[in-house]
Amino acid sequence: MIEVHNIVKDFRKTIKKPGLAGSVASLFRPEYETVRAVDDVSFKVPEGEILGFIGPNGAGKSTIIKMLTGILTPNSGSCRINGYIPQKERKKYVREIGVVFGQRTQLWWDLPLTETYTVLREIYNIPDAQFKKRMGFLTEVLELDQFISSPVRTLSLGQRMRADIAASMLHSPKVLFLDEPTIGLDIVVKDNIRKAIRELNRNEKTTIILTTHDLSDIELLCKRIILIDKGRLVYDGELSHIRDTFGKVREISFTLADGSAAIDFDVPKHEDLAVVREGAQVSVRFNTSVIHLPDMLAKILAAARVSDIAVKDIDVEEILRRVYTRQAVL
Amino acid sequence: MTEARNPSVPARVGTAVRRTGHRIRRFFRLYRIFISQFLKRLVEYRIDFLTGAFAFFFGQLFNVLFVFLIFENITELDGWSLQHIIFIYGFSLIPRGIDHLYADNLWKVAYFLVRKGDFDKYLTRPIDPLLHVLMEGFEPDALGELLTGIILVIAAGTSLGLELTAAQWLLGAVAVAAGTLIYTGIKIIFASAALWIKRSGSLLHMVYMTSDFVKYPVSIYNAFIRTLVTYVIPFAFTSFYPASYLLTGKDPLFCVGGTVIAGITAVCLGRFIWTRGINAYESAGS
Amino acid sequence: MKIKAYLPFISGGIQSQLAYKWNFFGFFIGEIFFTFVMYYLWKAVFLHTDTGIINGFTILDMTVYIFVSNITQFLTGTDASYAIGEEIVDGSVSMRMIKPVSYDISLLFNEIGTKVVLLVLIMIPVFTGIEIFRYAQTGAIAFSASRLGVYLVSSILSYLVLFYFDLCFGFLAFVLKNLWGFNLLKGSIVRFLSGGMIPLVFFPAWALGILRFLPFSSMCYTPVMIYTGNWSAAQTLASMALQLFWAIAFWLLSRAIWNTTVKRLTVQGG
Repeated sequence: MIEVHNIVKDFRKTIKKPGLAGSVASLFRPEYETVRAVDDVSFKVPEGEILGFIGPNGAGKSTIIKMLTGILTPNSGSCRINGYIPQKERKKYVREIGVVFGQRTQLWWDLPLTETYTVLREIYNIPDAQFKKRMGFLTEVLELDQFISSPVRTLSLGQRMRADIAASMLHSPKVLFLDEPTIGLDIVVKDNIRKAIRELNRNEKTTIILTTHDLSDIELLCKRIILIDKGRLVYDGELSHIRDTFGKVREISFTLADGSAAIDFDVPKHEDLAVVREGAQVSVRFNTSVIHLPDMLAKILAAARVSDIAVKDIDVEEILRRVYTRQAVL
Repeated sequence: MTEARNPSVPARVGTAVRRTGHRIRRFFRLYRIFISQFLKRLVEYRIDFLTGAFAFFFGQLFNVLFVFLIFENITELDGWSLQHIIFIYGFSLIPRGIDHLYADNLWKVAYFLVRKGDFDKYLTRPIDPLLHVLMEGFEPDALGELLTGIILVIAAGTSLGLELTAAQWLLGAVAVAAGTLIYTGIKIIFASAALWIKRSGSLLHMVYMTSDFVKYPVSIYNAFIRTLVTYVIPFAFTSFYPASYLLTGKDPLFCVGGTVIAGITAVCLGRFIWTRGINAYESAGS
Repeated sequence: MKIKAYLPFISGGIQSQLAYKWNFFGFFIGEIFFTFVMYYLWKAVFLHTDTGIINGFTILDMTVYIFVSNITQFLTGTDASYAIGEEIVDGSVSMRMIKPVSYDISLLFNEIGTKVVLLVLIMIPVFTGIEIFRYAQTGAIAFSASRLGVYLVSSILSYLVLFYFDLCFGFLAFVLKNLWGFNLLKGSIVRFLSGGMIPLVFFPAWALGILRFLPFSSMCYTPVMIYTGNWSAAQTLASMALQLFWAIAFWLLSRAIWNTTVKRLTVQGG
């Protein structure tokens, strides 16, 4: 059970000026500014839920995770996880959690992977029988046997990530924190990892907190998401609601066969409609609930001779921007 | 019922002893596991280890050659002969080498673990972060340093016909242990600085380099340096003072007692500062 | 190849040096300590001699020698082999290869950039200090601008010898995965044999005979001795010619190694 009440986190940063003159200037007179990374965030997570934190880079997701894992202390507000205040009772608390930092590994670099698990078994005091069972299970779910004897430094990013997840689950934690676990991975590997996470959650009823800026991670894993932008909690609720409201915007870009031709097709005017033309390149953004995708395609193809055409989903940044401007609706 | 709620004093002592014993056993089990990992790493990187140890050894050889070349022109230096100087020099390498063997990771903390954010993982494990850092950093290259020191001490001592009493052997061992703690404590203090300022490698380097002064008799320096390395950054107690006691038998209280005091102070201060540093790290982030 | 193309390397070097200002200071202070240890050691040594002169050096000569030799080593020190080693290990050597600039020259200019900072911040105060000290000790001004000039030229030559010498070893990174121990070894050997620890005249005669044929004296001893003013013009010229010889020799050698390496790289794929 996770309870977070009004946490705030400020950082003091030095302002770095660019170029040669700037470097010399900051050598003699450094300037500081206070940045509010997390601004009054509150939420509750019941046991066994997979919760996704999504938001653009620098939105404050990782900072929130760090506060929940006890690595960072909030300036104000409180959080309580499994009955512990993370910073106050760290040693006892961390026995019940697992953490995976997407960008950094927790594995021992030079030695074969199995050695990492051996050391972790000792650190977490896992009895032999339980350890064997656990390793067997994790090896199967995360498909580790291909590289379990290889030195960690030789592993690919995807293998390393799976190994890190196994390392974080070895001691059967009640809560698992995954900070950008699929960053930099290709689509097949991402899929495997998502499947593994789902399986772990199903089997163990582990509460999983996941931060990412990949919308597909969220779609495949979480029912509930929290949107963080500029340190603030912008949305807390079901994913389907967001998808219904904002996910329906698509964009079609096409190249005119005759760059100078005028195009004229009528589309019901609505808020999400935007037509941009640059020479022969045209992009049309529209809401599929106003006009269906195939209908739009048909209109375009009827109105102009097209040499190339592509259909795009709207990206996360765009969704967030819209969510922000329509905050009242949420 | 009453007994369970209000255990008698012997029962409470018993529990405390058992718990401490438990902690000690666990500590050694953990350390053994870490050491076995390093031995495995050693086997993996044996060429690196051998070249590293050899490089250290060779580097020290030049310093010894340097002393030899100096003594081509003089017979004694502040009352010390060539063999005495070599003895002191060799002795200085021993606590240094031992500390280098097990506390090398502190350099990593100071130079980049905190800055690159890789320090976080030590806070998410159920072991004391300082202990975790130390246990991970077994550095077998230091054996080169250590061996050189021992060889030089034995060679010089034999050449002098030095015979130590049992008491001197004992006090010598104590001095080596305490001297090691001086190094470790000072490293902890300045590595902790990284928890505040993200990068304290160069600061630690500066402080560590003052240990260069104590490879030779401190009487050759001016008052400022002598005071610095005796009372402020007490590296002189890791080498010159204990070595001079072993060579002359004089002033055991100052030479060895001082070492012990310096060692304990350094480690306690280090621990204290480290703990405050972790608190600061948690509020400032990385 | 236009010089303009290399200017960004210099500016880049300066910027990175400033960014790591603390690393630089820390390292520098460490070197200062070593210098002072030597100073006090020699002071004590000279006190224990009868004449106050050893091998033609007075304590004042030795003091100047110690400080100038340490500052010279600091200024002419090179990270070339380390830099190459790193780039080979992490693969960024190919990044340098595809840029339209000569590999060694780009490295050279990068390092020069870092040294510009050193020159400005360190060299002037240190040499001023040395000369003031000399004046205080002898009551006579020993400073000579022309000698400083020759010293600078000789130092530049030393640097080039060291740079190309180091470059040759950098390519060993292809063979030995980790150059660290080896570099440490090379560093101690160079320091000792180039007069960085003790003036070469202190070596036994047989050693001096061998050193005559080795490049080490050109790496540090020559410029330092020029500065102390104890050499004749003939000796100065001869030694500097030797420096030039070794600089060219190592440059050619590093070119040859580089060409074979590139061939091997492009055939086998690093």
